[in-house]
Amino acid sequence: MRKWTKLAMLMSMAFCILLQVCVAQTKLVKGKVTDAKDGTPILGATIKSDKTDFTTVTNPDGTFEFKAPSAATKLIISFVGFKTLELPITSDFSNIQLEEGASKALSEVVVVGFGTKIKKDLTGNIAKVKGADVQNMPVPNFTQALQGRAAGVFVESNNGKVGEGVKIRIRGSGSISASNEPLYVIDGVPINSSSNLAFSGNPSADINFNDIESFDILKDASAAAIYGSRAANGVVLITTKKGKQGKTNFQVNTQYGINKPTHLRGFLDAKQYVDLLREAATNSDNIDGVDPSDPDSWLTFAEGRLDRYSGWSDWRTSETNTNWEKLAFNDNARTSAIDISASGGTEKTKYYISLSYNNQDGILIGNKFKRLSGRINLEQIVASNFKIGMNLSISQTNAGRVPVDNEFSTPMQIVALSPVTPFRDKDGNVYNSPTTTYSNPYVDFTDGHWSSTIYRNLGNIYGQLNFTPSLFFRSEFGVDIQNQNDDQFYGFRTTYGTGTNGYGESDWNKVLNYNTNNYFNFSKNFSDVHDVEVVAGMAFQRYQNDWANVIGEQFPVEALQKLASAGLIKTGTSNQTYSSFLSYFARANYKFNNKYLLTLSGRVDGSSVFGKGNKYGVFPAASVGWIISEENFLRNSPTLSFLKLRGSWGLTGNADGFGNFAHLGLWEGVSYGGVAGLSPSQLANKNLRWEKSNQIDIGLDFGFFNNRLSGELDYYNRKTQDLIYDVPVPGNSGFTTQTVNIGAMQNKGFEIVLNSDNISGRNFKWSTNLNLSFNNNKIIKLDGSRDTLAGNDGRYLNSLIVGQSIGVFYGPKYAGVDKENGDALYYISDGKTTTNDYSEAGNFIVGNPNPKVTVGFGNTIKFKGFDLMFLFQGVFGNSIMNGAGGFMSSSFAWFDNQTADQLRRWQKPGDITDVPQLRLGYDNGTSASSRYIYKGDYIRLKNITLGYNLPSSVIKALKISSARFYVTGVNLLTFTKYDGWDPEVNTDYRAGNRNQGSDFYAAPQIKNISIGLNVGF
Amino acid sequence: MRRSIILASILFSVVIIGCSKKIDLTPSTSVAEEFVFTSDQNIKAALLGAYNAVSSSYVLGGDYLLYSELLGADGEIQWAGTYNQPREIFNKAILTNNSFVTTTWTDTYKAINICNNIVNAIDIVNEDDRDRVKGEALFLRGVMYFELVSFFSQPYSAGNATSNPGVQLITTPTIGNISEANYIARSTVQEIFNQVLSDLKEAKTLLPDENDIYATTYAASAFLSRVYLQMEDYENARDEADNVIENSGYELTGNYEKAFNNSVNSSEDIFAIQVSEKDGDNDMHLFWSIPEYSGRDGDVDVEQKHLNLYEANDARLALFYLDDLDIYRSGKWKLNYKNIPIVRLAEMYLTRAEANVRLSTEVGATPAEDLTTIRIRAGLSAKAATLDNILLERRLELAHEGQRIQDIKRLKKSVDGFDYNANELVLPIPLREVNASNGILKQNPGY
Repeated sequence: MRKWTKLAMLMSMAFCILLQVCVAQTKLVKGKVTDAKDGTPILGATIKSDKTDFTTVTNPDGTFEFKAPSAATKLIISFVGFKTLELPITSDFSNIQLEEGASKALSEVVVVGFGTKIKKDLTGNIAKVKGADVQNMPVPNFTQALQGRAAGVFVESNNGKVGEGVKIRIRGSGSISASNEPLYVIDGVPINSSSNLAFSGNPSADINFNDIESFDILKDASAAAIYGSRAANGVVLITTKKGKQGKTNFQVNTQYGINKPTHLRGFLDAKQYVDLLREAATNSDNIDGVDPSDPDSWLTFAEGRLDRYSGWSDWRTSETNTNWEKLAFNDNARTSAIDISASGGTEKTKYYISLSYNNQDGILIGNKFKRLSGRINLEQIVASNFKIGMNLSISQTNAGRVPVDNEFSTPMQIVALSPVTPFRDKDGNVYNSPTTTYSNPYVDFTDGHWSSTIYRNLGNIYGQLNFTPSLFFRSEFGVDIQNQNDDQFYGFRTTYGTGTNGYGESDWNKVLNYNTNNYFNFSKNFSDVHDVEVVAGMAFQRYQNDWANVIGEQFPVEALQKLASAGLIKTGTSNQTYSSFLSYFARANYKFNNKYLLTLSGRVDGSSVFGKGNKYGVFPAASVGWIISEENFLRNSPTLSFLKLRGSWGLTGNADGFGNFAHLGLWEGVSYGGVAGLSPSQLANKNLRWEKSNQIDIGLDFGFFNNRLSGELDYYNRKTQDLIYDVPVPGNSGFTTQTVNIGAMQNKGFEIVLNSDNISGRNFKWSTNLNLSFNNNKIIKLDGSRDTLAGNDGRYLNSLIVGQSIGVFYGPKYAGVDKENGDALYYISDGKTTTNDYSEAGNFIVGNPNPKVTVGFGNTIKFKGFDLMFLFQGVFGNSIMNGAGGFMSSSFAWFDNQTADQLRRWQKPGDITDVPQLRLGYDNGTSASSRYIYKGDYIRLKNITLGYNLPSSVIKALKISSARFYVTGVNLLTFTKYDGWDPEVNTDYRAGNRNQGSDFYAAPQIKNISIGLNVGF
Repeated sequence: MRRSIILASILFSVVIIGCSKKIDLTPSTSVAEEFVFTSDQNIKAALLGAYNAVSSSYVLGGDYLLYSELLGADGEIQWAGTYNQPREIFNKAILTNNSFVTTTWTDTYKAINICNNIVNAIDIVNEDDRDRVKGEALFLRGVMYFELVSFFSQPYSAGNATSNPGVQLITTPTIGNISEANYIARSTVQEIFNQVLSDLKEAKTLLPDENDIYATTYAASAFLSRVYLQMEDYENARDEADNVIENSGYELTGNYEKAFNNSVNSSEDIFAIQVSEKDGDNDMHLFWSIPEYSGRDGDVDVEQKHLNLYEANDARLALFYLDDLDIYRSGKWKLNYKNIPIVRLAEMYLTRAEANVRLSTEVGATPAEDLTTIRIRAGLSAKAATLDNILLERRLELAHEGQRIQDIKRLKKSVDGFDYNANELVLPIPLREVNASNGILKQNPGY
């Protein structure tokens, strides 16, 4: 440890010696900037001098005033899409003409860790998504807004619950038991993005993404390695909007829309239910050799149940036919939003402030989401060489939650109820158990609530000191504070509250996450051909999570819902966990002659989650680039305007997601008979160390026809070693798993990005972009002694198998129905012979939940005042397993209502079908097998927006600067062969690295259509 | 300017030095295992941990009892719940990945491991309490091995005890890491019974007569009588039962109903799992009771076939109750948050009576006297003390308390069309265990 301290001291000393003093005096420069092509003024061009950090931007008429220090020798004028101009300070600035330069895309500024770079000079792979592209998308989570917008970034919402879990995988899954989620960094603060499992919601839903200027997604190891141990799954750098010099610009956006489920599945109606149930009971009687008219027969039993289920109505005449599925949904779900922002500044002060309110009803009964958020971003230049600033947001999220998918009380489980059951009894009360098959989730909705309130503060303050024009020191301190309270009450008739006279729960969750970054940046051009940039510094982060739960029962009346009225406090607990990271990092960029690029970086990370001797890890990376189009032989090519070859290698780490003390052998407090005791909770592994991810990336960036057609091709190979994995150990040890570094996994893939300005006229513009990613995930090694960790748990088959992708479905292969007797058949291990005995069935790889291909295809068309944007997003090559098949498509194994496909069941010898004979009380083909696996490919119209901008004459008359009406829609069209509700699914109660592609009463995704108005003044 | 440079450098260095210690963190909600074995107090806390593990809903917190009744259903009860894991057991078509069975196995060994830890560190315990603590640990370990061998192996009555596979025998604690000792084959049924007997016998000598809600010497005796009964060693079974009846001071409750749904042990509870609102699970209540009493969904129905076994004025019959759907429910598991009786004094009377009849002895009392004691409490009159009558009385007295399949097996009866020694009546070794054993652990035949 001391070694590092010394090194850091030395480093800072070295910098001290390098420093020179500069003194500031200023002189006023005035001028005007225009487009060289047609002389139109350029608004927003940046003016700066070579000696300070002061910048200013041009006014709408192209003019500017700039206070340059007297030491300044040059004025630098830059604007996106134009060549940067450097003019001696003594020049005439009255008409500075900028020439169109490299395409906008190439000169775009990309945020890299602890700095920025222009895209042209990048040697790593970074995908940029502009905030403007996702602005006003009617989804609560920014992660959902990213879906389909960047190559190699796979986004999947668990289900259609609003503001809940979303999975993001950058270039596939790298880990089995550690986290596979990327690191999110907002304005330099690594944020808490993983939810405490005991709590509802998704921390990313607290962030108003209309405040976001850009997402820069660091995909390859060289780009991400500056984040070392946190970067194995990629890094998403989020930059919020900053003010620009000029008059205050107000933006107001209002939006209103409706939400619907993407798809309803359809279940048996009352007559079908009765017919099939009686058939199933009769079949079971025949098997048992019991006369169906016998009082002990299955048929008598089933008809007794029908009497019970049909309440006041007569099931024999189909008097009632309730569509329970529809009752799970709120058919009056609305979305409304309003955003107001103001930004502007003087040459010394720049600000951006915003206020936003977003109210989105979920499609499920009881599911709601409201967010009120505000932000202040402020930067002040204190002296010519010193600036300070802050970015601060505060938000309140109020949500109505619904239980996870495997709870009887979750709305979607209402589909299990019988269609013969009337919705209400004669007194107008919603029917409940025992009339309903199971307790009715609708009662949990009407007689219960689960409201969640989250306060989130995200912010940082920083100071930046310029020692010389080429050297600065920046210090940042950031916090991410999350305070959550979940308040639940379920009344006397609800699933949780029956028999206990109500159920109340109060949960408090607090996350405090603070960090500091301190680094030097040195950048200088030597002899016009050598560009050098060096960044070196340190970072420290501490994360702490405290939470408490109290549960009470026995409420006097349903009107008293707080625990103060609970007659019995059943449990109360408080809990805590924490971790910390100490890091040192350095990066050097070198560019020679604008052609040859080299980046070297390294990070040393110390983490509290590992034990003595294993705390520190070293994460180096290197990358090179060659801008071939700058070479003489290509320089004047009429078609090829840009060509860059780049290659990178890097090592990144993973220390998240497997518990903060996994290396320790631990005992925890328990109690028996009211007396406290100690019980072993974790098996030690003193050798636990970093999971390391080794990635190479080879990429080609190109532009044709003056960059009207541009793109990127990337091949990558990412190999995770020392995989952190909870390996099953013999249960006779008293433990079930041990967290160990074992095994290896590989993700190989190819990414294609194409951007095309198809038509670029004055009145008509059409551009297209396509991103296409192929990823192949493969487990290279497990624990060495085993090649297969079979995961058949009776409902699901997600397994770990060497040579296969993580979580493949491995288990019995369904062989259809014995046409002689209606038995479900499976293949035995030879793959040919069939058996009706599930336990004799062989195991096969019967599906893969990992998509092979993901695609995003977007178009933007502008015609006069109109603009049309649409984005298709697709996922291909994955399978989905319906874990609820054994209940809802089970040949009436029990009384759950069945899916419509059960109508084609086997009925008599000779029938050829895939649905076995109906048998009440028997499991005929209901165990987990390929029978419940479906193709999960889909392509959907993720987002479409049609806008109209009022013409400038009207705008001027209204004394505003812009006005736009728009209609926008999310998930309006879905093309899929998946039989279930929605192919974008991974049931929330078991979603994990290995447990993917599972459906279990998961709500379909939300389909939204909204209208909006955007006004600037 | 120079000042600011120096300031920046100092700040930078201070931050680095200040942070370097901050990555040495230990948890605030658990303690290191090394710490556990350092004091008398800690070992005693670990003993509570062992009781807690034994009281898991998958172990004596209900599921062993449930499995016994579901396996021994024979049309007298019906699994009518939606969960497929108990249904597989009820249907005698159990999959090797049945998650209930899997957790029962791992939770049982968790309890065994804690007991092994305590026995291993017994010298740290104060001398005054050492015998008691060791006795309790051995008692719990013996009981756990007895449950394991009863459910995961062929019954002792099937013979071949010295060759039929029992379970994996582990008597050393897991500390620091898994060892080679964890990758072992199954010992024989005989070896497991030997371990059970040796643990319980030693416990019997070490344990006190009275020990609050915890194991006493009589709890060890009562379990020994059960074990001997399984081994058809009627002499020892009788003597252990007799020891409990004559010396323990336990008394039958005034009426039958009072033996159940208790928050504190009844006068006849020799050993019971403690359940309260705040602490402990009762899976028997969960699955056998109905929503009105906070049960799940009335998952186990009691059928007429069972009720027909009782005489009309039997207090035990009166304990069954009808729900809204006219389905009979066991009153023994009606209320929420109540203790689970594991061994009641009534069983000792019936064991002594049965053994006395079989051996034609009258140790403690005549079989007729014991039978009458039980019958009178149930509101019935005396009846001839034939073996059949005693066995029927046992079946009714202990109905739905988790003894059914063990009795069927030792009496070599058949159930639901399966012979007492059918493979289907033996739980499968959990698939995860077979997989985790590197091929050493062999599955039961028939799976």
